[in-house]
Amino acid sequence: MLPMIRSEFRKLTTIRGPWLLLAAGPLIVVAGVTGLVVSGGNVQDPAVQGQALAHVGLAAMLTLIFGILAVAGEYRHGTITDTYLSFPARGRVVTAKLGVYALVGAAAGLVSSVVALAVTAAWWAAKGGTFHLSAGDTWRALAGGVAANIAFAAIGVGLGALVRNLAAAVAVALAWIAAIEGIAGQLLGSGLARWLPFYASEALDRANLTSSARLLPQWGGGLVLLGYAGLFAAAAVLGTLNRDVT
Amino acid sequence: MAQVEVRGLTKTFGPVSAVRDMSFTAPAGKVTGFLGPNGSGKTTTLRMILGLVRPTSGEALIGGVRYDRLTQPRRSVGALLEATGFHPGRSARDHLRVIAAANGLPDRRVDEVLGQVDLAWNASRRVRQFSLGMRQRLGLAAALLGDPEVLLLDEPANGLDPAGVAWLRGLQRRLASEGRTIVVASHVLSEVAQTVDHVVIVSEGQLRFAGPLREIGETNNALESAFLKLTVAPS
Repeated sequence: MLPMIRSEFRKLTTIRGPWLLLAAGPLIVVAGVTGLVVSGGNVQDPAVQGQALAHVGLAAMLTLIFGILAVAGEYRHGTITDTYLSFPARGRVVTAKLGVYALVGAAAGLVSSVVALAVTAAWWAAKGGTFHLSAGDTWRALAGGVAANIAFAAIGVGLGALVRNLAAAVAVALAWIAAIEGIAGQLLGSGLARWLPFYASEALDRANLTSSARLLPQWGGGLVLLGYAGLFAAAAVLGTLNRDVT
Repeated sequence: MAQVEVRGLTKTFGPVSAVRDMSFTAPAGKVTGFLGPNGSGKTTTLRMILGLVRPTSGEALIGGVRYDRLTQPRRSVGALLEATGFHPGRSARDHLRVIAAANGLPDRRVDEVLGQVDLAWNASRRVRQFSLGMRQRLGLAAALLGDPEVLLLDEPANGLDPAGVAWLRGLQRRLASEGRTIVVASHVLSEVAQTVDHVVIVSEGQLRFAGPLREIGETNNALESAFLKLTVAPS
């Protein structure tokens, strides 16, 4: 397993694309927090502080695409042949990628968290609010955001391994985020909708406390996302084992 | 000594049978030419030997072991396949370093094979900037990285200039003389006639001939007429 993990890290550190993608995460956080304040968010309200920090979870959209690149990117460039020549036990390749990408997803989430803290504190100071590092929601919001970054990286690995076609996998992910889940949520009603991945992610981020009645508890959101990651990965492994690589 | 043994290998893709009951042995210490027209099942057979395509029936053994059971596959078998890709943004050296890490090989080997295929000066360039011939050399470097006893090469002369083709011929001869097993799939008969000891000729997914080159004639003309006779569609 160790050589597999080492080569996955080398694959990542020898190209620029994934890092440019992940670097957009902190930018989204800066823009999101700024938008919240500029659009009239009340800096005296501790709940608004939590909302600002919850933007870390929004960066998970990027770790999702990052995860998709893990396997689908290898099919795109044909390097998957080399990978399977080195490791004929294909199931373990997906497992190693899950581990490595989840770890990098965690690091990306941590960087976004630091940026979120800094930007939020700066805005709060500028607007005369008092920033409470110890406010009950601060650490929960950040922990949830980091967890979402990890979970979506893992879901991306599973989805990319399942769909394999990079463009199709990214299109499926974006269509799901932009439209399908919203429509599905309305059709299912909030009782069932809260089990959908982005509703679960909202619960995890605790971004929308006003409508928390329709969401799972934070830990529940985390478990549901973990379940999706496991489901996609398992389906991907089963689908990979006997497939011809041509 | 690790010979390559193909036993009753069969592959059907839906209604199409790409390879039918193929059996042959590529002996150690020899260059075996794997010849056949386009679409005759050469690449599918090579991919089955390498565990990339799952046979419908039959098996392929390398030194008596199936590829996916080899403990360190790339130290036993090196492969150059036509569709093997490179990430365009990764440098040649880094492409090989990824494979080295995967197989527990030291980075020193990377520089050795880069020198061996004459890419040392271009090692830091991204593969995006490489010509077809340079990519082919990089693919060969990857195949040689694990210092394998068996080499499976699919159209290795593709994109090489005349000097490159001559160099490749020498490389294959030298590797075989070291006792390695070389299998070269090709349809450039003039090249094959100068390089190989053994030939395996296939057509329409079936074996037509397997044996020493001298049995069908060592001149280019003799090989060509034998090839054309053996691979003509039965009417």
